[in-house]
Amino acid sequence: MDAAEMYREKLDRLEAVIHGKEPDRVPVTAMMTLFHAHYAGYTAQDVMFDSVKNRDAALKVARDFDFDSMLALTGLEGTFMSLALLHSAPSLVPTGRFMEGHFHEILKDVYTKWPGMELAEDSHPQFIGKEIMKVEEYKDLTENPGEFLNRVCLPRICKALSDPGSPESNAALALFGAEMGKSGAAMGGLVQDLAQCGFPTFPMSFSYAPLDVIGDFLRDIKNIVLDFYRYPDDVKRAVDALTPLLIESARVTGAVPPEMQKAIGTNVVECFFPLHLNEYLNPKLYEEFYWPSLKKVLEEVIAMGQTPYVLFEGRHDAHLETLLELPKGKVIAVFDKTDPRKVRDVLGDHVILSSGPPNSLLIGGTPQKVDDYMKSMLEDCKEGGLMIYPGVDGGISGDAKPENVQAVLKAVKKYGTY
Amino acid sequence: MTDEREDFINALVDLDETKCIELLKKRIAAKEDPKIILDDVRKATDIVGEKFEEGRFFVSDLMMAGEILKQAMEALKPAFGVGAMESKGTIIIGTVGGDVHDIGKNIVVALLEADGFTVIDLGVDEAPEVFVEAIRKHKPLVVGLSGLLTEATESMKETVEAITAAGLRDQVKIIVGGGRTDEETREYTGADDWSDDAASGVKKFRKLAGVQ
Repeated sequence: MDAAEMYREKLDRLEAVIHGKEPDRVPVTAMMTLFHAHYAGYTAQDVMFDSVKNRDAALKVARDFDFDSMLALTGLEGTFMSLALLHSAPSLVPTGRFMEGHFHEILKDVYTKWPGMELAEDSHPQFIGKEIMKVEEYKDLTENPGEFLNRVCLPRICKALSDPGSPESNAALALFGAEMGKSGAAMGGLVQDLAQCGFPTFPMSFSYAPLDVIGDFLRDIKNIVLDFYRYPDDVKRAVDALTPLLIESARVTGAVPPEMQKAIGTNVVECFFPLHLNEYLNPKLYEEFYWPSLKKVLEEVIAMGQTPYVLFEGRHDAHLETLLELPKGKVIAVFDKTDPRKVRDVLGDHVILSSGPPNSLLIGGTPQKVDDYMKSMLEDCKEGGLMIYPGVDGGISGDAKPENVQAVLKAVKKYGTY
Repeated sequence: MTDEREDFINALVDLDETKCIELLKKRIAAKEDPKIILDDVRKATDIVGEKFEEGRFFVSDLMMAGEILKQAMEALKPAFGVGAMESKGTIIIGTVGGDVHDIGKNIVVALLEADGFTVIDLGVDEAPEVFVEAIRKHKPLVVGLSGLLTEATESMKETVEAITAAGLRDQVKIIVGGGRTDEETREYTGADDWSDDAASGVKKFRKLAGVQ
């Protein structure tokens, strides 16, 4: 089979599941940050800071592993930046969405730590976060989120922008712009290279749970959790003020030109939502602070014709029923620690289910153990359509054993056919 | 039990920060035996842990409880005088090399301290040698290796190996913990136990330390 046929076959398989049908077999969508680096003999620093090495590593994995799609994600959370740019520079929102190593070098953001900089050269880059906004400032955020993010937060988040108008700040912005251009080109190039190897990549738009914007970027997780008890009304008002920005972010990033849709061969647009506070909250807090605004954003994104691609990080068991409030079959739902069997019990095929073996198994297990795990999961959950997300807790680990990842692909061909 | 004591315990369990600390300060001002107050703090902590295990409390509830406990312990310590608060023993805890996450670890530390352990918190991104040195210095009952990244598993394994190589493995119990740990992680790293939540983690620390 040539690459173009392979591309069509994989795309058809993925599209079938997204459209609520059973394809020839269950597809495998791979996400990785370091697996490709280690597989190709590179360090974390190599792939984070050198796009040629990153491409080389990703293509090596693409040649050796028969995934149905794959994404080498070298960036950390950076939605604060895409929201800051949303109204004044919408075309930069997609590249500004992730904090890359080079962006961090230039902007000196206080959230992230990188291999070869704050961390050892082969460590995973990490988003740690920081309290940027004081409790008293909830009202300023609520009054005008865009202004507040730009004028007050950016100078606090990025040390290089701490003195707006200074030579250092202007230089950082100019360098950041240039680096965004390079990064966007490298990303686009890799997507094209992967396509030529037969791997489709759906166009991706970007949004976020409104409360996570506050938890991740403004108040820090440890403070937002206390704010629910201490300042509930301030939190709710801020969430309401942020919600339109998250809808707008999806609209801006999801507007794929028809000629591009034709070239890619699909009109599916996946809108990426990594959820963070979901696991922290009890059902009462979830339904009071988190879900109403997220639901609103999801409904709007679905109405735009996009397919929300939601990572339900951690354990989402207690909140599963709320997903029944969304239209059926419109959301791809990746469950991390929630047993996919439980999802089927509670939701049936109301969401497009994605799950996979945890990294503990890919790191410490054996191909036989992986095979057993996959057999059981596929037999129990494949009916009605399923996608496999290997290393479901954050993507395939840099320490996953290649033979265990191969075992996932073998198992899908053995037990995942219809 | 008096109504006052019950009100205090309930305020902590209900995560009513203001009321709980107010009642605590009243009790301290009334020169009540600090041991009795501490008993109540522990009773409340136990109930919080149980509620978590029963699925009625979630991580945010534990974080709020941890915050109240921290304030309560700070207020209570002076009432005991220097060194008079009895310790159940020493525990060393830290996030392993290459990982700088600490939310989970910090909740565990707050719960362990309220439970009466002396906790040496090594911080984050700590190399195996740092754990080895700390074990030599503090002679802990239990060592907790924390981490969130999937790559932390490898660092946990290396840390256990370093403790073994230093000839200290049979002197301590080791527990690995974090959102991504499971039985597979325990087996791979060679630890004695594992936990992916703070409440059951504290129970396991107690068990490994051989105390109630």
